[in-house]
Amino acid sequence: MIYSPFPMRVVSKRAEAPGVNTLKLEFVKEEDHEFFKANYKTGMFGLYGIFGEGESTFCVASPETRKEYIECTFRQSGRVTSTLASVDAGDIVTFRGPYGNRFPIEQFEGKNLLFIAGGIALPPTRSVIWSCLDQREKYRDVTIVYGARTVADLVYKNELDEWKKRDDVRLVLTVDPGGETPDWQDHVGFVPTVLEQAAPSPENTIAVLCGPPIMIKFTLAALQKLGFTAENVYTTLENRMKCGVGKCGRCNVGSVYICKEGPVFTAAEVQAMPQADL
Amino acid sequence: MTRILLRNKLDDCIAAWQKAGFSVLAPVRRHEMSSFGEVQKASDMAFDLVLPERTIKDHFFPQTEPLIKYKISKHQIDSETMTPPDQKRVFFGVRPCDASGLAIDDPLFGWDYKDDYWFKRRENSVIVTIVCTEADDFCMCTSVKLSPDSAKGADVLLRPLLNGAGWQVEAVSERGTALLETISPLLQENSEPTAPLPQVAEKFDVEKVMEWLADPASFESQFWKDIALRCVGCGSCTFLCPTCHCFDIQDEGDTYQGIRRKNWDSCSFANFTMHTSGHNPRNTQSTRWRQRIMHKFNYYRGKFGVNSCSGCGRCTRQCPVDMGITETLQAISTLPR
Repeated sequence: MIYSPFPMRVVSKRAEAPGVNTLKLEFVKEEDHEFFKANYKTGMFGLYGIFGEGESTFCVASPETRKEYIECTFRQSGRVTSTLASVDAGDIVTFRGPYGNRFPIEQFEGKNLLFIAGGIALPPTRSVIWSCLDQREKYRDVTIVYGARTVADLVYKNELDEWKKRDDVRLVLTVDPGGETPDWQDHVGFVPTVLEQAAPSPENTIAVLCGPPIMIKFTLAALQKLGFTAENVYTTLENRMKCGVGKCGRCNVGSVYICKEGPVFTAAEVQAMPQADL
Repeated sequence: MTRILLRNKLDDCIAAWQKAGFSVLAPVRRHEMSSFGEVQKASDMAFDLVLPERTIKDHFFPQTEPLIKYKISKHQIDSETMTPPDQKRVFFGVRPCDASGLAIDDPLFGWDYKDDYWFKRRENSVIVTIVCTEADDFCMCTSVKLSPDSAKGADVLLRPLLNGAGWQVEAVSERGTALLETISPLLQENSEPTAPLPQVAEKFDVEKVMEWLADPASFESQFWKDIALRCVGCGSCTFLCPTCHCFDIQDEGDTYQGIRRKNWDSCSFANFTMHTSGHNPRNTQSTRWRQRIMHKFNYYRGKFGVNSCSGCGRCTRQCPVDMGITETLQAISTLPR
């Protein structure tokens, strides 16, 4: 039945940053897992829940190349996320999805990839990053620009180290001025500025950009300055959702339902939406 | 010659449907507001109403719908999916606007993911529409290109006889034909004239409204701020609308057991679109009123080819500040352009 979620067992919980956790979930029922494996593509989202508290919408942070588990990373902020943050390995939570559209990564083949993320928006980007890195030979240069307010706020620290060590990935890390620690070796500055300094070439390049609205706005301007066209920049939008399947009526921006027609859009598509509804 | 159903056969008619396994629902005055409710005999029905205050939607998309029952114990969580009761129903005396409302909402509940709760009730129901013979100042079906005798959403269409003795009967769907078979001994051949339709004046030019709404420049017009000033955001117009379908999903219960429910929600409420971060894309009443009008007369038709309004007029009739959709659309259709 519609709105009936899959039960999921918590395999592990990892603290990423203050108030931010990653849950690794496995399917309790084989048929649910088969459904997920057949349908999940990078960029899609789900509704994660706990009976008695409700459901919250966030992306699937694990890549489409690794479908044994679902990983989700979220900031503890409301009733549902606070309860999800308190679970232990072995506990049962729920998942409804995967819903929405996807990043068309097969269209990115043979191109350079530029990933740009701010703060808690690395999880959706990370799903695309690993989906591409797991088939590294299909893509050309890979650049990842990631920034957070402070060093402590950077998520997936282990994976950042891993990407840093790889010689087939260029990782540009930054924290906001004042967010650095005495031993911080990377950039200090806002993402758009650091991006402009790193100056990746727009030639044959697809950019994937995720972050808070204010970062998106200034980063898009920086990308434009670097010569990127809005058609070659992809992003993912978020809105409050309840059903996830185009019925409950709240996630639309103008006529566009984020849950059905999104959450992945090109910057050109986002610019065509009524900006006052974002 | 056409078939008619006499008013004095209505008790037998109800009994025949009940015998065939249907419950019969009709307009009733039972609570503080008139609504559709189960009836046992003709005298239970409130035939004098132009329109019951509450819509027929209550019985297809109820105010609260249990989805999942859950029980949490120390080592286990049990959950059980709940389904609507498996009961065949006849809705007798539905007005064309309410019946149209159901047909308007079908594509929304059906696109891509099918809402089993809506469709199970739809499939179990037969709609007997009674054509209007009276209209009030708020009726506006003709303004949205429907009419007091529209068969949209109906399975059987009844036209009141001029002499008031009964109705001319016509099946307009297979389900309607099957329903009439259950009462065929009660119907008779007759050529009695039917009562004239009421005059429902066109209140606005819907084409002009749609044209203005489709212009991207209208989205940030000062018009929205002015027209929505009076709105108190109570949500009554959305709850009494036969086509409004927005809902919330909430868990109700305690730490150990409870029910996940699909509850009515309203685009009039600030909380409807509020992000956890505090950001709210529709953070003023004017942006929420704009959403309501745009959704009904622009977005919905873009997706499903039809406006999400059947012209019942309840949004205006029952608005506590005398506002409603009609006034907004009248204002839009007379805006200078």
